[in-house]
Amino acid sequence: MKRFIKTIMIFAFFTVIVYPVLLAFWGDYAPYYLTKTINYKIGSYGHLYSRLQNIKEVKDVDILFVGSSHAYRGFDTRIFQEHGLSSFNLGSSAQTPLQTIVLLKRYLNKLNPKMVVYEVNAEGFSSDGVESSMDIIANDRNDFGSIKMAFQQRHLMVYNTLIYGFYRDIFNKNKDFKENIVKGGDTYIRGGHVEKALQYNDRFEYTVTNGQKWDFNGKVFKRQLAALEDAFVLLEKQGVKIVLVQAPITQMFYRCYSNNHEFDNKMKNVGTYYNFNDLISLDDKRHYYDWHHLNTVGVRIFNEKLIDLISE
Amino acid sequence: MLFNSIDFAVFLPIVFILYWFVANKHLRLQNLLVVVSSYIFYGWWDWRFLSLILFSTIIDYVVGLGLSKEDNKAKRKILLCISIFVNLGFLGFFKYYNFFLDNFVTAFSFFGSEIRPNSLNVILPVGISFYTFQTLSYTIDIYRRKLVPTRDFIAFSAFVSFFPQLVAGPIERATHLLPQFYRKRSFDYNKAVDGLRQILWGLFKKIVIADSCAVYANQIFNNSSDYSGSVLVLGVLFFTFQIYGDFSGYSDIAIGTSRLFGFDLMQNFAFPYFSRDIAEFWRRWHISLSTWFRDYLYIPLGGSRGGVLMKIKNTFIIFIVSGFWHGANWTFIIWGALNAVYFLPLLLLNKNRNNLGNIAHGKRFPDIKELASMFFTFGAVVIAWVFFRADSVTHAVNYLATIFSSSLFTFPRFAGGGGAWITIFLTACLILVEWHGRERQYALAHWCIKRHRAIRWSFYIILIFLIGMLSSTTETPFIYFQF
Repeated sequence: MKRFIKTIMIFAFFTVIVYPVLLAFWGDYAPYYLTKTINYKIGSYGHLYSRLQNIKEVKDVDILFVGSSHAYRGFDTRIFQEHGLSSFNLGSSAQTPLQTIVLLKRYLNKLNPKMVVYEVNAEGFSSDGVESSMDIIANDRNDFGSIKMAFQQRHLMVYNTLIYGFYRDIFNKNKDFKENIVKGGDTYIRGGHVEKALQYNDRFEYTVTNGQKWDFNGKVFKRQLAALEDAFVLLEKQGVKIVLVQAPITQMFYRCYSNNHEFDNKMKNVGTYYNFNDLISLDDKRHYYDWHHLNTVGVRIFNEKLIDLISE
Repeated sequence: MLFNSIDFAVFLPIVFILYWFVANKHLRLQNLLVVVSSYIFYGWWDWRFLSLILFSTIIDYVVGLGLSKEDNKAKRKILLCISIFVNLGFLGFFKYYNFFLDNFVTAFSFFGSEIRPNSLNVILPVGISFYTFQTLSYTIDIYRRKLVPTRDFIAFSAFVSFFPQLVAGPIERATHLLPQFYRKRSFDYNKAVDGLRQILWGLFKKIVIADSCAVYANQIFNNSSDYSGSVLVLGVLFFTFQIYGDFSGYSDIAIGTSRLFGFDLMQNFAFPYFSRDIAEFWRRWHISLSTWFRDYLYIPLGGSRGGVLMKIKNTFIIFIVSGFWHGANWTFIIWGALNAVYFLPLLLLNKNRNNLGNIAHGKRFPDIKELASMFFTFGAVVIAWVFFRADSVTHAVNYLATIFSSSLFTFPRFAGGGGAWITIFLTACLILVEWHGRERQYALAHWCIKRHRAIRWSFYIILIFLIGMLSSTTETPFIYFQF
């Protein structure tokens, strides 16, 4: 047995050294169809790279926004500025509580917000967060928090992307990278918001299945809920107020799920919570540019109402 | 829990350490650990179905003891029937309820009467077809007085639920596996290292070959009406290696894992695509199931001892039941029947045991006759796979009709890109390695054992790296889980 354990340890040692070396080489030179498990996409959808460059110039804000694309597309920092509230939007593509806690730990002290507006939605709590983890790994410098996040994901793709991310960080391979401020119809606005050129949700035809139910008893939901509670502990320790916000999506899709109220109840148990699907009345075609993202007209209505609520 | 998951990569070393370092002094404790870890392994998927395994275990344990005490023939038959009824009852309900219901509805509507049955949303418990057959072999062997029943409930539970082979085989006989739970296991370095090598090869076959082939097989089968005959040939070839890599890969991981714990499981695949006739193919493909059907169905039916009609009847029964075992769909039944059609000429001409040894035994390459018969057999198997993979009989027939049309002679064009070529290249590598190791228990057994450790380890690290790089972006269950 001793011999076996010794052999395994030596083999594991060599594997741990050789695997990252081969992976770095593979990530740099292999064609895209062979690198599906290294999903390192710097400057990809959501402008996270620009946001994290921008954050270096910002400190001491009134409000910090976190959450998914509903956050970075839905909270326009300029509208809050109009009301005398400085803010930064730290949302990222498909961000779930598992990634939010990582970002909060990295940037909370620097931004020193008085309040955190934490965007939540049932879909995010039903997601494993793999996509968002890889987004953060590729667009931010990696640290121990990235390793912890990767282990929570328990996904080979996240491990590979993290190893590759560390390699690029260590050898400063991204030093010459520059992200375009305008990509497609999206413009990055200083402060973290991404603005979509005005479009209306009348270009698409959707088919929906009514009567669906979110699974609030599964392992994924429990893990995400635990990460949200960790964020509460972290923020309360620093005396930061927290408001949970569910951004509006088209009623057509919101009503597909028959147990949205269960999600509301679970969030209300955690802290102050506003579900804007019930609080404001928006038109599925005029106030959205797709089935779940507000257009600039919808964003203003949403933000004005939120400012009213948090001012109270 | 899937073998190809991070969860299993954590689970296995924990169980291994507990088994050899904590429970190693007490055989019963080791067996108990096997039971507990097997229940965790299975319950990881859905703990509610553990009750089925537990119930089957209790019934067959009690029936086994009852059979040992009873000499009255009628009472023994009743006891055996209880075991068969319970095990096949579970299998029938969970696997075939909706199939029979749908077919009754279709039959009634054919005669003009409408019925509205209560179809149930039945979840098929993973591996039910495997462990029910394994426990049935126990009671049948006791009934036949080939086996003495165990009084050790823990050893018996461990035999029923042994996690490496619980959900997709090999379907072990009680006569082979159960005694291994009575004996003290001692750690064997060479056996454990060979087990790890077999696990690695199994993971390569599953993750790199099967899952990559699956992408293109699914793409082509799901859109078969859009493609030419030449693309459809590629599609069924991708499926051919998908199912082989998937299932033989699973068996390799199961056998390798068992060896880490000091157990020997039977070989389940013996390089079936190198077979020279269909009889040889069935001696090499899913051996544990084929031999199960032979011993517990074919021989009791009379086997090939009777006249021509009896031979034909029994051959069709065994192949159709085998097809039906794979799934509650007419496609599987036709797949079974087609194999019976392939097999019958060999049986009737008494040529079904012509090729008992290995192809090109002791030689590097086969001769022309062997090569031709191997390709002919492979072609027949591939055609039958169309029925196995298709969604419906109509789909399979249309698929084959397109293959055997003039579009077969066009250049295959589909949106596979470079990934498809890489998959073809890796599959070719698999074939070469398997050919090289065709006379062993598995292709890498004792592979390069005399070479320097640096060469062997480099090869293993390359395999691990390829597994890491080419695995599917989502966890892909094994195909045979659904059976």
